[in-house]
Amino acid sequence: MTVLLGLPRGERATAALGLAALLARSSRTDLVVCAVAPAPWPPGLAKIDAEYQEYLNQVTQEALDSAKLAVPEDVAASFVAVRARSTPHGLLEVAEKHSASLLVLGSSSTGGIGRVSLGSVADHVLHSAPIPVAMAPRGYRYRAGSTVRRVTAAYGATHGGAGFAAAAAAFAGQLGATLRLASFAVRSGPVITAGVGLRAEEGVLSEWSQHIEQVQRDTLARLAELPSDISPAPPALESTIGYGRDWHESVEDVGWTDGDVLVVGSSSVGPLARVFLGSRASKIVRNSPVPVVVLPRNDELPTT
Amino acid sequence: MASLRAQLLRRKPVTAMAEETGAGGGAGELRRTIGLFQLSMIGIGGVIGTGIFFVLSKAVPTAGPAVVWSFVIAGVVAGLTAVCYAELASAVPVSGSSYSYAYATLGELAAMVVAACLLLEYGVSTAAVAVGWSQYLNQLLENVFGVRIPEVLSAAPDAGGWLNLPAVVLVGLCALLLIRGTSESAKVNAAMVVTKLLVLAMFVVIGVRGWNSDNLANFAPHGIGGVYGAAGVIFFTFVGLDAVSTAGEEVKNPRRTMPLAIMIALGTVTVMYVATALVAVAAQPADKFKEQEAGLAAILQDVVGASWPGTVLAAGAIISIFSVTLVVLYGQTRILFAMSRDGLVPSVFRKVNPRTITPVRNTVIVAVAVAVLAGLIPIDLLSEMTSIGTLVAFIVVSIGVIVLRRTAPDLPRGFKVPGYPVTPVLSVIGCVIIITNLEMITIVAFLMWTAVVLIWYLAWGRRHSELGKSEGLRAHTEGPS
Repeated sequence: MTVLLGLPRGERATAALGLAALLARSSRTDLVVCAVAPAPWPPGLAKIDAEYQEYLNQVTQEALDSAKLAVPEDVAASFVAVRARSTPHGLLEVAEKHSASLLVLGSSSTGGIGRVSLGSVADHVLHSAPIPVAMAPRGYRYRAGSTVRRVTAAYGATHGGAGFAAAAAAFAGQLGATLRLASFAVRSGPVITAGVGLRAEEGVLSEWSQHIEQVQRDTLARLAELPSDISPAPPALESTIGYGRDWHESVEDVGWTDGDVLVVGSSSVGPLARVFLGSRASKIVRNSPVPVVVLPRNDELPTT
Repeated sequence: MASLRAQLLRRKPVTAMAEETGAGGGAGELRRTIGLFQLSMIGIGGVIGTGIFFVLSKAVPTAGPAVVWSFVIAGVVAGLTAVCYAELASAVPVSGSSYSYAYATLGELAAMVVAACLLLEYGVSTAAVAVGWSQYLNQLLENVFGVRIPEVLSAAPDAGGWLNLPAVVLVGLCALLLIRGTSESAKVNAAMVVTKLLVLAMFVVIGVRGWNSDNLANFAPHGIGGVYGAAGVIFFTFVGLDAVSTAGEEVKNPRRTMPLAIMIALGTVTVMYVATALVAVAAQPADKFKEQEAGLAAILQDVVGASWPGTVLAAGAIISIFSVTLVVLYGQTRILFAMSRDGLVPSVFRKVNPRTITPVRNTVIVAVAVAVLAGLIPIDLLSEMTSIGTLVAFIVVSIGVIVLRRTAPDLPRGFKVPGYPVTPVLSVIGCVIIITNLEMITIVAFLMWTAVVLIWYLAWGRRHSELGKSEGLRAHTEGPS
């Protein structure tokens, strides 16, 4: 297992590097930092903008150099510069070469500070390769030497949930982290003029909670029975439900600490679908205060 | 097994109700946040829009211009019942519908009777307003685009068509919104109240220009009987005032706020209704009301001699009625949900979809039933059926107030009926007078429906009641040891 970092440009590099180091350290593996620059075009006639190409090489090298300084000493890192016709292409090539099992990207600059936002690179990668993609909230900082202590899986308890839970458990096991299944409810208010009281929705919610708790218990019981000789099992399993009036409140409600990582599954729609995260998952990701890992839909994670 | 008498009279402990609604999501504590203004708005929002837009076509032929008095009578009775309801609601410190209040105070049988009435009230009134909506939709389509949905697809079989398609579509749309999850906040309600009041005010202000005293000459052609008869038809336009009573738990200073809010809401609504009715009967002869579709819009158009007022009014009516349909359909699903949690109807009604966090199957079943009613039954019958359901539910509630004062005089009540025992007695008498003046077929249909519900209860509900189960369990564990 190798962690591959697609080095973002500018200030976003710090948060991404921190996350990549955290994940590599937690899974006791090496880190490959990769900077992708556009390939010369048209092929073979590169001479015409030699100066520009030289400039690109220089920028890439500078980025890698500053990354070298920023990578913590306790993580074994190598540095690669590639030229490719697109960033996802270059990254996937390198991922295959180093048999990387996790790709770290910078959160898109369209998201606000402290928020996770998936950009077009994450979109492409999640479409084309069965490799988990991790992203840090913009401006996220990590304590030196820290590891992932808890993996929180956003668990919808719907179709395909069991496969996702198993994948999340395997992922947590690799990191040596506790697995927490979390379901989120956005509480809607009642219809106040219906004459059924202002608490009508609470009954609905409590019925939902009972169902979800049952599903979570069943899933945890199944996970506990999984053989741990193939891949390490998480040291502990737990579950929780977050409530709120909107997604932000609901995600906040489960409580987050240092060393938390949120895991969501990519959408269960077919290969032609243009959306790789379901509407719920993308709302949860947007409101996540901690780094996010998107697991591809394939039930089996690539293991090394 | 408990005796039949014990089963019929077993009451749901208030603590159990509190536990049920308190679970999950926190927010279990009592917050008194609703003031007088907001509570009055809840009352007005709950009432207006349920029927004033189309009830005249049935009520005026029954009473003549004296229909104005029918509105006053219906308003007074609605006020009396709402006050009684508020006391019953305040004796149960948990939010709920009249079904849950009856269950906590009067026992399972009374709860079942109230439930039968409520199912009728909510289900049938949804259908009734949906039918009224289709009339205004047709009016708007004709004014704006010059087309009408063909008669076969916009009227019930008894009214000369095959199916009332717009009504069915409306119910479907509302069900979709409910499945997605919808709520109505105080702000949304305030906006709807303003819309509804503006539409009615526009009708009064413009319509009064068509005032013709000749139309009022034969004021009460069918005498006092006609006035009471029309009051029965009209009563359902006051349905929804109970929304004030059910909000009791969160009302600041309920002892003062509750009756005031009921008075303000009822006063506002009655004044608007009476003004609307008066302008309408003065604007056109009584015999023109019969089977008039989208009545208020049609009257305005005649008065002005142009189509624009009708268009504006129809648009306002479409928005108002849409919101009311949504609200009532919602109420229906949540009452069945509560009954299902109590084990009195099958568990399919309590299944919550894990994705949407709404009772999807419940909503679909209710919507299908209501759509069938709305598509196939003419509006006159629907409105009387709604009225009788509400009236009987209120009789049970008013008697309940008296019973509870005798059986549990020390029970803490947040609000007490002023003028006890006259008020609840008057409330019962008022309801009985209106019921006896309804058409025979309505009363017979209602009795049959209640019989069906009670047979259901005796055959199924009383054996599956969660309350019965827990009592049985207790008897078992506490028994010989």
